[in-house]
Amino acid sequence: MARARFSITQLPGFGLIAIVTFVMLYLPIIILVMFSFNEGVSQSRWEGFSLQWYQAAFNNTQVRDVSLRSLWLAVTASGLATVLATLAALGTTRVGRFPGQTMIYALINQPLMVPEIVTGIALLIFVAAIKVQTGYTGMGYLVAAHTAFCIPFAYLPIRARLETLDHALEAAAADLYASPIQAFRYITLPLMVPGILAGFMLGFVISLDTVVITEFVKSAGQDTLPTYMLGQLRRTVTPEMNAIATLFLALSLVIVTAFFLITRTRGR
Amino acid sequence: MQKEIEITGLNKSFGQGASAFHALSGIDLSIGSGEFFTLLGPSGCGKTTLLRIIAGFEEPSTGVLKINGKEVTGLGPSKRPINTVFQSYALFPHMSVADNIGFGLKMLGKPKSEIKSTVAEMLQLVRMEAMADRLPSEISGGQQQRVALARALAPRPRVLLLDEPLSALDLKLRKEMQSELKRLQAETGITFVFVTHDQEEALTMSDRIAVMSAGEILQLGPPQEIYNAPVNRFVADFIGDTNFLILRVKEIGNGEAVLELPGGRQASARLPESISPPVGSRVTAVIRPEQAEPTAAGQGEMQAVVEAATFFGTDTHLHLLLDDAQGFVLRRQNRPDQPSPAPGTRLGLSFAPGALRVLED
Ligand SMILES: Nc1ncnc2c1ncn2[C@@H]1O[C@H](COP(=O)(O)OP(=O)(O)O)[C@@H](O)[C@H]1O
Ligand SMILES: [Mg+2]
Repeated sequence: MARARFSITQLPGFGLIAIVTFVMLYLPIIILVMFSFNEGVSQSRWEGFSLQWYQAAFNNTQVRDVSLRSLWLAVTASGLATVLATLAALGTTRVGRFPGQTMIYALINQPLMVPEIVTGIALLIFVAAIKVQTGYTGMGYLVAAHTAFCIPFAYLPIRARLETLDHALEAAAADLYASPIQAFRYITLPLMVPGILAGFMLGFVISLDTVVITEFVKSAGQDTLPTYMLGQLRRTVTPEMNAIATLFLALSLVIVTAFFLITRTRGR
Repeated sequence: MQKEIEITGLNKSFGQGASAFHALSGIDLSIGSGEFFTLLGPSGCGKTTLLRIIAGFEEPSTGVLKINGKEVTGLGPSKRPINTVFQSYALFPHMSVADNIGFGLKMLGKPKSEIKSTVAEMLQLVRMEAMADRLPSEISGGQQQRVALARALAPRPRVLLLDEPLSALDLKLRKEMQSELKRLQAETGITFVFVTHDQEEALTMSDRIAVMSAGEILQLGPPQEIYNAPVNRFVADFIGDTNFLILRVKEIGNGEAVLELPGGRQASARLPESISPPVGSRVTAVIRPEQAEPTAAGQGEMQAVVEAATFFGTDTHLHLLLDDAQGFVLRRQNRPDQPSPAPGTRLGLSFAPGALRVLED
């Protein structure tokens, strides 16, 4: 008689570990969301349902400003990163092997390997020096820093997409009298679109989320939503923060869901 | 016959210096206008490389390639009046069947109305009218094959290159597409250069075949000639089934050799022009399994004992042992009134003059 195949779900304690893991992952978030709807100021005692903290958040001009800044920064940085990552992905998958290719991969993926705090401090010193030299204190520093940080996240899905594309498609286009530019315009680019969208969304979420880089690079009055929230938490914690965090969470969920839907539809 | 493709002294190697790999050596061939020409050889012998050089995806290392009398060295694939049906079809997955077929004409800058009518004509030619708006992922493998053909034919190239186009199809569909391809070639009059590793496919479809091995053309000629008069052991072995016999030369003369058969009788065999073995030496000779016939024991040119019989439906293969212990396979058509002989039966073998041939080796 054949023995049942080994299955990890049959190990003793598997169920318990699974439950603890899910509780650790989701309970704090569920509580955070729950108390954003609390009638009172307490974070631990339920006093009834209300939308007053959402109202407060919407009426808070500071929250509105930092939210818009975060969105603008995320769109700009992720957009730039996506363009650069697309070029990098084309360069590393479509021109054949070249010496130093592995090195290039490593360089592109550098932000994935260097601890964020190290990047942050390095940027702080670097940006401070430029500020002293030029006197410029605009958003350019944040855009540049976020763009650099987003590139590897945008690069990975775009490159993955390109690697699944049969080179014979481009050969077929050339065979059917397409110039290299036409082959790119009509064949490669349209087929890359799912990868490009996925790359943009990943970059967007990463930029929206990063605290460390922003904290070290920003000038006065350049708070993003996460750095603003961090600043507020040092003072008093009202459920207004819960409401803002919940909205932030909802936005991230929408984007991540869209990301999965896009990457799942293969070959269109 | 007008020459469509002319290749002289073509070599192709990949890599440099001592580690260079010679994929093609000393290729000379010319392909006539409107010909169905086949490159036949085992996997890795350089068929695809030769096709890619003709299409313009690779440059030859040395040698000259002329298309319609003009040298094309340095011209990319988009500058040659040649289209390819790729081994993987390479249909554009984001375009409908109709847009795939019209792509070449669009790139050539043809007016919309002309593209539309040519696409309709091509859809009809490959019998895919009903599928015009489908995506490639929404049609079967055989249908994708037809679309790939229509797409390559639509710009009316002078030459169509087909790289093992039927190898992914199942047997029944493959037979169907074989006659479909012959029909398309007859209707369009376009020169076809067809690549296959399937000898039967090559024999049934081609006007001429080039048999390739390890980057060289071993024999070039019409199917009958390749089958009936293989020049060497590789060709004889690769094309169809063959009995190889090692026999002693008794006499030489007139382009023929008189050979001593197992059992002592003698028979004359055609000799290739390139060799003249000395009398008394041993040569390799071949007879196709269907070109010998069983006779009563004691009659015919050779004597044999039946070792085994394998039934194949239309015919039976008799595995025989000749008098000098060489093996021999005989193919006999099945008839209800002729049961196959039991193992151990003695029988004679006769063969027509010309069935026995000496190989170059
Ligand atoms: N770009 C290349 N670089 C190095 N070797 C190659 C290249 N293309 C083909 N070859 C080699 O040339 C030989 C012939 O390949 P190919 O023409 O594809 O054979 P076939 O189509 O007959 O199977 C193979 O051994 C293959 O490995
Ligand atoms: Mg091949």
